[in-house]
Amino acid sequence: MRRINKTFGAVQALIDVDFKLQPGEILGLVGDNSAGKSTLMKILTGAYQRDSGDVLVAGKGTDFRSPHESREVGIEMIYQDFALCGNMDVGQNIFLGRWPRRGLFVDRKKMYSDAGEVLQRLKVDVNSVYQKVESLSGGRQQSVAIARAISFEPKVIILDEPTANLSVMATERLLETMLELKKHNVAQVIISHRLQDIFAVGDRVMVLKRGRHVGERDVSQSTQEEVLRLIVQGDAEEKTQAK
Amino acid sequence: MVAHDTSQSRRLPTEIVGGWDLGLLALMGLLYLGGVLVNSTYFGSIDAFHALLRDTARFAVMAVGMTFVIVNKDLDLSVGSTYGLVGVVFSVAFAPTFYDLGPTAAILICLFLGTAIGLINGVVVTVLRVPAFIATLTMLLIGRGIILGLTGGKSILYSTKAGEFPAFFSLGETNVLGFNSQIPIALVVIALGAYVLAKTRWGYETFATGGNEQAAIYAGIPTRWVRIRAYLISSLCATIAGLMAVAQDKGVTSQAGLTAELIVIAAVIIGGASILGGRGRVIGSSLGALLTVLIDKVLREGVPITRTIEINGVEFEVNAVSSLPVGAVPVFLGLLLLTAVLIEPYVIRRRLPARLWAWLRSRPPPPAIEAGGVALEGAQTTGSTASDKALTARGFGKFLARRDSLAIILVVALWLIGLYLRPDYWWHLPNTFAILLNYTELAILTVGLTYVIACGDIDLSVGAVLALAGSTAAYFLKVLGADPMTAVAMGMLVGAAAGAMNALVAVSFGLPAFIATLGMYYIARGLAAWLVAGQQLTGWSEDFNLLGRKVGDILNYLDLPALPGLLRAVTDVVSIQTLWLLLVAVIAGVILAYTTFGQSVYATGGNRRAADYAGINTKRVRFTALMLSALCAAMAGIINVAFFRSFNPVAGQFRELDAIASVIIGGGSIFGGYGTIIGSLAGAAVITLIRALLQLNIITASGESIVLPQHWVNVFIGAILIVAVISDIWIRQANILGRLRKALLRRKPTPRVTTRA
Repeated sequence: MRRINKTFGAVQALIDVDFKLQPGEILGLVGDNSAGKSTLMKILTGAYQRDSGDVLVAGKGTDFRSPHESREVGIEMIYQDFALCGNMDVGQNIFLGRWPRRGLFVDRKKMYSDAGEVLQRLKVDVNSVYQKVESLSGGRQQSVAIARAISFEPKVIILDEPTANLSVMATERLLETMLELKKHNVAQVIISHRLQDIFAVGDRVMVLKRGRHVGERDVSQSTQEEVLRLIVQGDAEEKTQAK
Repeated sequence: MVAHDTSQSRRLPTEIVGGWDLGLLALMGLLYLGGVLVNSTYFGSIDAFHALLRDTARFAVMAVGMTFVIVNKDLDLSVGSTYGLVGVVFSVAFAPTFYDLGPTAAILICLFLGTAIGLINGVVVTVLRVPAFIATLTMLLIGRGIILGLTGGKSILYSTKAGEFPAFFSLGETNVLGFNSQIPIALVVIALGAYVLAKTRWGYETFATGGNEQAAIYAGIPTRWVRIRAYLISSLCATIAGLMAVAQDKGVTSQAGLTAELIVIAAVIIGGASILGGRGRVIGSSLGALLTVLIDKVLREGVPITRTIEINGVEFEVNAVSSLPVGAVPVFLGLLLLTAVLIEPYVIRRRLPARLWAWLRSRPPPPAIEAGGVALEGAQTTGSTASDKALTARGFGKFLARRDSLAIILVVALWLIGLYLRPDYWWHLPNTFAILLNYTELAILTVGLTYVIACGDIDLSVGAVLALAGSTAAYFLKVLGADPMTAVAMGMLVGAAAGAMNALVAVSFGLPAFIATLGMYYIARGLAAWLVAGQQLTGWSEDFNLLGRKVGDILNYLDLPALPGLLRAVTDVVSIQTLWLLLVAVIAGVILAYTTFGQSVYATGGNRRAADYAGINTKRVRFTALMLSALCAAMAGIINVAFFRSFNPVAGQFRELDAIASVIIGGGSIFGGYGTIIGSLAGAAVITLIRALLQLNIITASGESIVLPQHWVNVFIGAILIVAVISDIWIRQANILGRLRKALLRRKPTPRVTTRA
């Protein structure tokens, strides 16, 4: 993404933001509230339209009008509240909106066996694909959301505050899952406030402040304190320095 | 933008009145002038103006209470029946023909009643978390049932005894100053309400609760109490209005307060309140009441016309009044309600007038107010573990874990109770036939309604659409002399139109479904009454009536021989509508359970946003469901007319209550996402059997026969609906029984090492 600009009424949400993601990379996107993290990602998925700038996927310019279009080129987003239907079971949720069909009817056999396969690939334990999602714990619900996302065979997965609603155990499991996905060469973006999670699995961290890109660090060559300083004090000069 | 606004004006924003209220006043002036022009003999007089203010007084008092409820983002549909019930209870207590109490005692009883209704409404809505419209609709229907039960459908009058107590009854009359005492009473209530809502903490708490309840809770506002308080205010206002009515009329009819809730809600919404909560002014509401009552009066008074009649070749000019038939007025009030509800989100939030003005001057339009940005919605995907039991349970436990098990068990139990009470009659053919017939009408309604409820919407208009389709078919057959096919087609067409309008308002305009279908509830019933006004619609080709006959009758009609043996019994019990129901239910059931469309319905009801993200066209799903519901209601209406060989304006009355209760008993959830056709059919059977049992002539050992009066049956059904909704919320969803069991298990000495997540 190059020189992205976006305004909401009088508020300039993003100012000339550059954003780059390599295949199989885990990038942490951090910044204060209203720094523009979610806005940037929503422009990437097509949920919002940018005012100016370019979005390039594998070198080709794109112009997504909705998240459905970005899904076609392999970009998936996992929302903070997972966007699942609690009244339906795990299998039905993984194939939400694209239930396999045989003739006029839903092919339940295929749906559940495929769902089971996806869950296995993810190496998460959900008791049964027949379980209703509302009876699952938060961490398991998230696993279902991730399973749903990877069933599209995406190249990029964006996780919006993935650890915000999770217990410590569930967070551990999520981080394992993310490394598992990395092995499958899926690039991931984590929007998060929790630096320790990003430092546990991330490759790179990018800092936004008031709509500006104020810095970028390799996780292996930086510390949490340094990134924190960027979040709090970072300004435009920092950006030129970083480049 | 905020900073810009404050710098512009140093004055505090107005709280009690605003520009909207002035606009209302101007509109009313114009309307009254119009009334004077059209019907100067009536509207031109001071008397008429006085009568308008007098009649408005009662509605304005109710509107004051309703404003508090609506600003809280709640709704109180029970005010009309509370108003009527207070009148009836006062009369029963006071009238010499009944208990013959003094006025003070009677008033105290009424105040107690009003407090009780308000408390029940408030507690059911807040503590038990039943959606406001369903709780108060049930209260409305229970109230109306009690009114009919107490009065027996007759009037109670006591003008002589009223003369002995001028202190109270003069409140309903013209005072020495020359105007009716109800007007100052209303003014006091309005002033009090306006002050409390606009100037006190009570009012500020109300706005906070309606604007964002979650935020209000975080801020430490006791939102439950705030909402219960509003229901108390509302029902006490209705009590005052009811007492004002008896003071004026010195008697009461069983029709008192019928559709008053419509006028009151329309008044509050017209007065500038938002059905989505957080907005509203008492002054606006009372002006809205004035406007609505004025419209009501204009509609009822009619237009004087001169009719030319020819008698023996000589033409006479006769003065007459062309007015709407009884029952047609709700059509316009329902339309008014829907229009008013659309004003706030579309005209005000989107600044329609400002945009129009800018467009006229070919300037760029002003920016729309950003809406819905602050909504802090909780994740929907937390909840029951009850559904999890189905995985581990075995055998009968597996059956019990199904959401529809209750309904199926109840059907069997109720049928056996019937057999026990009347072994001589219950299982015989005529009774089975009668039960099956009642069942069919209800079951067809529930088929469509299951889709709507599974989608997370509601359709309150099924009973009214049934009546509308029936009356249309009857009108085409009798008045226009159409052939049966045309009549059926027209009935279905009208049903489809009603469904399309429901769907348009609920889905395309994005209003809550209950308010859209509530409007249709009045519109459809009003239209049905209008169509058949003054005519006995009966006596048409028997070909049409075949739609409602037993299979045996049809064989007769076609001159075919009756079937032998057991088949004969079947043909005497099964009718065309039962077969039709079977067909419709099987198709609808298969679609809901086995196709992707059915899955989309559940996904839409479960989490609409998630379904949208997943690429499901939730608008189309909801639209289809609402259409289907109206079409099913239309089928039921046409069959109803064919069965009775005539149209009865009360057809389908209270049927919405039965139908919603059936779906909920059968495993549907009032919050959407659940419900199956099989469950709903079983639920409909439960309701039908309960009605049959309640109307059963029970013969006691001493040979006496006891029968429950018809009026009380509806009260009972209303109670069942509310119990069904509450137990769905608390037993199926919150799994209260499971939690209880867990709490008991925890006390056992053996600690469990591993817990299943």
